[in-house]
Amino acid sequence: MELIDRISWLIRLRWLAVVGVVATVELARRIFPVHLALAPIYAVVAAIAAYNLVLTWLARRLRPFPAGSELRLSGIVAQILTPRALRGMEGEREAARAALFVALQIGLDLGALALLVHFAGGLENPFIFFFIFHTVISSIILSRRATYLQATLAFLLLLLIGVGECTGILTHYPLDGVWRRDAHADPLLVGAQLLVLGITLYLAAFMGSTIAAHMRERERHGALLAAEVARKARLLEEAYERLAELEKAKSQYMRKVSHELRGPLGTIETALKVVLAGTAGDSPATVQDLLGRAARRAGELAEMVEELRVLSRAREARLAAEMSEFDATELVTDVVTELREAAERGGLELTLESPGEPVTICADLAGLRQVIDNLVSNAIRYTPPGGRVEVTLARTADSLRLEVRDTGIGIPAADLPHVFEEFYRAPNARAHTTGGTGLGLAIVGAVVRQHGGTVNVESAPDEGTRVTVALPIPSRACPNL
Amino acid sequence: MSDRQRILIVDDDRDLVEALKLTLKGAGFEVTAAFDAPTGLQRAASDAPDLIILDVMMPNATEGFHFVWTLRQHAEERVRSIPIVMLTAVHEKTSLRFYPEGGDGTYRSGEYLPVQEFIDKPVDPARLVEKVRQVLARGPELR
Repeated sequence: MELIDRISWLIRLRWLAVVGVVATVELARRIFPVHLALAPIYAVVAAIAAYNLVLTWLARRLRPFPAGSELRLSGIVAQILTPRALRGMEGEREAARAALFVALQIGLDLGALALLVHFAGGLENPFIFFFIFHTVISSIILSRRATYLQATLAFLLLLLIGVGECTGILTHYPLDGVWRRDAHADPLLVGAQLLVLGITLYLAAFMGSTIAAHMRERERHGALLAAEVARKARLLEEAYERLAELEKAKSQYMRKVSHELRGPLGTIETALKVVLAGTAGDSPATVQDLLGRAARRAGELAEMVEELRVLSRAREARLAAEMSEFDATELVTDVVTELREAAERGGLELTLESPGEPVTICADLAGLRQVIDNLVSNAIRYTPPGGRVEVTLARTADSLRLEVRDTGIGIPAADLPHVFEEFYRAPNARAHTTGGTGLGLAIVGAVVRQHGGTVNVESAPDEGTRVTVALPIPSRACPNL
Repeated sequence: MSDRQRILIVDDDRDLVEALKLTLKGAGFEVTAAFDAPTGLQRAASDAPDLIILDVMMPNATEGFHFVWTLRQHAEERVRSIPIVMLTAVHEKTSLRFYPEGGDGTYRSGEYLPVQEFIDKPVDPARLVEKVRQVLARGPELR
């Protein structure tokens, strides 16, 4: 807390004052031909050091504010002492307690200063202006009202010294050779000096507390602003959470719809295939041709529905439920074997390079199968006859790397940032073939992200494309196995 | 009783059943059908067909799997051992298991659904007939 930090500062400052007084006294004795009343002056210095020790101990106790052991403040005292900017804020009670502690310290200091000044020339002492110094300190730490109270206390002490010494009620300890011997007894001089000191004290109190109040107000404003920013951040976070919920609901809906569509589509395709197979009787060539087209389009539709299902499932982030342990080498080999026929039909050379041994990973089997299938199918689809598709599976210390490289039509640089967007197909891809849903790479992106992996695409038009997928291999086994 | 081999199709999709019936009848089999699991189990017990073609039967999702486990626990050996061809590619997509009750829901190494063959939808007629013939020739040996 700020006020407590300032208490420590005040205590450090006081040690400096003790050293300063001793140094000044010793220096003054040697430079000026003055006879200082050393005994009472050093007695006051010793008293300052003593109460500073006590204050140091008290400040340590004040810091943690042990319940029940604190100074109890009545409301009115707290009102007077605590700076306005701190009122009504969190920790006000502690602030009031610390403010009282500071007010008592400054009161003690003013008393000590008055004694020092009295034993060293009274109003003649040039260090009389240290009273102003204390007023400034009060204005920085305490409330405006407390500052004026401190200024009044300082003025009363000065009045006591001035009038007391002038009238002979108090002994005057002269600063021989520095000041006129009888100056302290000149009512006009004393009166003028007290007037100037009084005005200066109250001006210092006014200016100091005005500047301090202004700064505290800004601090308070800053704190309010920070609270407002925090509130807005919370709202934003809540909005984001709601959005994430909506996104999840949308994915669930998409998954359910695609799930429902799969059944009827499968039946349509099966029925068409049965008719095309001639089991239901011969049909004319034109009918056969049309049914063939219908079957092909139904197949494309089924593929899109399946891709939507996989995509929405990956988006739902229900990964934990889908995880299982399997051999990645076997999976890649399976998929490549299944696609070999398509590669041969396209006049392509399809090669696979993989670790000779099983690589057991914990992942979503269906999702990963789709990732490999999509990448290799894409490479086959967009590589003209005579080209090459190379699939490489490699294991590093903590990740699984799958690379699919082709000598195909490539992706123009302008389209590269969009290839992971749903339904996005680069113009050269559309021109090359009518097949393809534009969901393949969106699925790859979603599934890989879901597994905490990365996917990178490098491509040059008419030269080829290289897609690299890196999946982290967790050191532990599947949590649900 | 005809000497043709008898196939029972258990599937709630009547249109698909019709298409499969046409294909299998065309291939010389005698085909009957049940459109839900309880009827299918009854029919299996009373007729003891040579082979069952079984759908996973959505939307219940697990009804087909429960059918398998119930049939395999049947009191009569001739019913218990009827070969099953499952109309799904679920074995490629998940390692989830579907016990009638209990279990933690996943297969461990060496465990699998006790059926003879899987075939994915959409069903390719020629492939279906080929698989059915293979399974009938092989008998109750599991896949």
